[in-house]
Amino acid sequence: MGLKKPQQTSASSSDERRQSRDLPGLLAALGDPDPMARRWAARDLAEHADASGGLVERLRVETEPSVTQVILTSLTRLGDEIAVAGLTDCLRSEDAMLRNAAIEAMKQLPDEVAPLMGQLLEDPDPDVRIFAVDVLESLRHPRVEDWLIRVITEDAHVNVCATAVDLLGEVGSERATLALKDLKSRFADEPYIQFAADLALKRIGGD
Amino acid sequence: MKRILVIDDAATVRLYHRGILESAGFEVTEAVNGIEALERVAEAPFDLYLVDVNMPKLDGYGFLRELRAKDLPQAPAIMVSTEAGANDQKLAYLTGANLYLVKPVRPGRLLSHVHTLLGMTPSSEGRTS
Repeated sequence: MGLKKPQQTSASSSDERRQSRDLPGLLAALGDPDPMARRWAARDLAEHADASGGLVERLRVETEPSVTQVILTSLTRLGDEIAVAGLTDCLRSEDAMLRNAAIEAMKQLPDEVAPLMGQLLEDPDPDVRIFAVDVLESLRHPRVEDWLIRVITEDAHVNVCATAVDLLGEVGSERATLALKDLKSRFADEPYIQFAADLALKRIGGD
Repeated sequence: MKRILVIDDAATVRLYHRGILESAGFEVTEAVNGIEALERVAEAPFDLYLVDVNMPKLDGYGFLRELRAKDLPQAPAIMVSTEAGANDQKLAYLTGANLYLVKPVRPGRLLSHVHTLLGMTPSSEGRTS
């Protein structure tokens, strides 16, 4: 027997979608108590060039994961300065799911994220620097290797370097050889760095 | 032989942990995220889980929540993370982790904890008999 949709829900969602053509109405709907209304609003706001601010504002307080996911998708589609800044802010979140979703979203925006990468890799918070390296993983940008070499050469935090050296082993070239050898010297007492740097050197043919 | 599931999205980290654990006689299976880990669990039970926190698709917290909700014998779980904050540790324990280790994990320390959680002595070498 087929499932019958509750009539009220169906009517409610179609109402929300009618309102979705209007930017102020949609922004208001982002605060609706019904998650379904918020989800529709977030989805339709991707069609409005000026919607990023409202979506970022909602992202900071949204508690329903499915709505958060749609907001992140819409921000990725909008991809403007405000959207990218909003995604970047998520890297500081205590919510691991939000952080991971933001990292995946940022990977889709190489040209927009690239100008911020230098700043992110110098953030005072090592966790943010680690997440920035995570973003580099699939960023498909010509400067990725340069950024990674800079990280393993300059960053004092072992886990930031560990994250970068993992990735360098996958995307690096012989250009990274010297930096990898220097990294081994800098962290001579860290077994993981020795292991990962040796593996990276082997993979790029520098050892 | 005791079976350990190593869950981490970073191939180098999985290889590093595999090397340490296999050298001590454990049988190691790998998963790249929480979703894949749950698939491995559905195939056969493990004696211990080594779980990264930050992974795409389903992170370490999500994996442990789902694992702990399952009706099967519950094995100990070590959560490993780059984050040393008290909130992260608290969340790990609330989610069902037995231990929270901050990366980078040193081989001797990891094996010591694994042996303790499995109720073994280092000379047991990961084998049950």
